[in-house]
Amino acid sequence: MPAPAVAALSWFPAEYARAVAATAAATAVAWLMFPLVDAPTLILPYLVGTVAVAARAGRGASVFASLLSVAAFDFFFLPPYFTFGVAEIHHVLTFAVMLGVALVISGLTVRTRRQAQAAEDRERQTVALYAMSRELAQATGAAELAAVASRHIGEGFDVEVEILPSDRTDPERSSVVLPLLGHKGPIGSVRVRPRRRAALASPERRRQLEMFVNQAALALERARLAAEAEDARIRAETERLRNALLTSVSHDLRTPLAAITGAATTMLDAGARLDASVRRELLESIRDEADRLNRLVQNLLEMTRLESGALQLRRDWHPLEEVVGAALGRLAARIGRRQVVVTIPPELPLVPIDDVLVEQVLLNLVENALKYSAEGRPIRILATATDAQVTVEVADAGTGLPQGHEELVFEKFTRAAADGPGAGLGLAICRGIVEAHGGHIWAQNLPEGGAAFLFTLPLADGAPASVPADA
Amino acid sequence: MPEPVVVLIEDEPQIRRFLRATLTGEGYRLFEAPTAGAGVIEIGSRQPDAVVLDLVLPDMDGLEVIRRVRQWSGVPIIVLSARGQERDKVCALDAGADDYVSKPFSSGELLARLRVALRHAAGASQPENAVFKLGGLHVDLLRRNVMLDGREVRLTPTEYKLLTTLIRYAGRVVTHQQLLREVWGPNHDSMAHYVRVYMGHLRHKIEAEPARPRYLLTEPGVGYRLADG
Repeated sequence: MPAPAVAALSWFPAEYARAVAATAAATAVAWLMFPLVDAPTLILPYLVGTVAVAARAGRGASVFASLLSVAAFDFFFLPPYFTFGVAEIHHVLTFAVMLGVALVISGLTVRTRRQAQAAEDRERQTVALYAMSRELAQATGAAELAAVASRHIGEGFDVEVEILPSDRTDPERSSVVLPLLGHKGPIGSVRVRPRRRAALASPERRRQLEMFVNQAALALERARLAAEAEDARIRAETERLRNALLTSVSHDLRTPLAAITGAATTMLDAGARLDASVRRELLESIRDEADRLNRLVQNLLEMTRLESGALQLRRDWHPLEEVVGAALGRLAARIGRRQVVVTIPPELPLVPIDDVLVEQVLLNLVENALKYSAEGRPIRILATATDAQVTVEVADAGTGLPQGHEELVFEKFTRAAADGPGAGLGLAICRGIVEAHGGHIWAQNLPEGGAAFLFTLPLADGAPASVPADA
Repeated sequence: MPEPVVVLIEDEPQIRRFLRATLTGEGYRLFEAPTAGAGVIEIGSRQPDAVVLDLVLPDMDGLEVIRRVRQWSGVPIIVLSARGQERDKVCALDAGADDYVSKPFSSGELLARLRVALRHAAGASQPENAVFKLGGLHVDLLRRNVMLDGREVRLTPTEYKLLTTLIRYAGRVVTHQQLLREVWGPNHDSMAHYVRVYMGHLRHKIEAEPARPRYLLTEPGVGYRLADG
């Protein structure tokens, strides 16, 4: 493997200085041996020095060390001493052999070392590539993937990395632009700016860099395809909901409007001729239908707020009893003489909730219970607590939910009965609010008949400042 | 007694139309203003007994109207607001409004609020020697004695103070902060749950069904109201 010129140049001072130092050391050792042995034996320390240089330096420095050794040997240990002259012709042969042996040994040493190093490099690259793949597999979203890839490539190759959305970029000196190629074509490009000049000098390094970039490209393409599929799914779902909304709202708006218009025109046209009781009934129907319209609009607004993420919880510590009381108070007219049994243990802790929203949940659930169970059947509200949460149950003694509808009822525009009242938003809103509080909501049929809706409200870790007692 | 004068500041003609019929039918003299600017002038020139103010107006925030009027007049102000905007209601009450009605409201609701506001403005806010009566609840403010359906109820000092504060504002909404200041004193602003806990105690002593209160009503997100009559 030839040493690249740039790399050799950059190593020059240190490596060549080391070659000089090694030759000097060998000369010192030979000097000590000189009185004891004959001249050719003194070649040995020089060979050791050359090997030592080759073990750490590049080919150039090794050759330099070999030549320097021959020169030093001639200068110090062959007569005429302290000259580069050669007294006897067979010494030239000695030089040739010495130089040959030094070159071969140093060459072999350098190569062995390079191979070991290359193997080590490959091993490190494989580990690094594996580490990146693993992290890419765990990452979600294009931004996170790009960040993971940039970090791994940047650290692994000592470069600055910039992932660009387009494969056409302005060329820039001192940087390399590689295309990000997915299975289905280019998805962008990577600009790599080495932090030091040698970082990407070898073709091997470039090939490895390409491997990393390809890996990143495939991961990014995967993320992009997943995002596109998700987009399509959301678009389809939005479309379905929009249709359901239009159908539902147009029906639910028109029905009360028709009733109001009818009752009002009857009053205007024939008001004087009608019985007092008929007039009252017409007026009551106007009021009730307007109420219904109001609830529908309220629900639509609430749903929009929940879905747009504009909902902000204003939490504080509340006694559940008070929130239940507020909901029942607002429903007083519709509850009428129906029996509502509330069981809230006095030791129930304060719950960290947005009272206005949780009141809405209770209101919707009780309203549902009133709607789907017969006059004269009681409605029960029950609260229990563990250390972690409070569970609230609203149960009716009606006909219960159709088999398998326990989950479905929480979907938007779903009603227990196809011709039931309301737009089917109430329970979807309940779920949105309860989940915003970190709780769960679910429905179940009761063994004794009727349906129960339960929801949990987690108790936060903190407790409210204790309330001062008084006598 | 001359008919009470009401200034109505509301930009929606439909609401003005309905309130005109209702209020004049109930014997009020009504002056209407479709903008905040015109409304403030009407209040200055008509010297009304009460003001009905929509919070959302084209030319100025309703809150600003309250602040301006409060600089020179203590006239009762009843705010018209929407359900779900509890924050605005609390701001309006803090700025000096006396009460609110959530749209859509029944005329009965608004008339009841107006009656309470006029009563309070007449200075008749419970003479000190009176016995306050509400259904089966009798509170003798002089002897500090509370009776429910003929039986004496024992209240702690804090519960009693809470109850008498609500009585002072009978029929009117009282915010959590107002109650905290009046019962516990200043520096308890973030302790609204004190009020709720004590209100719970009070309900267990004077309500037949504490979870379905008849006297101590909750206005979620705003405060409490002692039922009126």
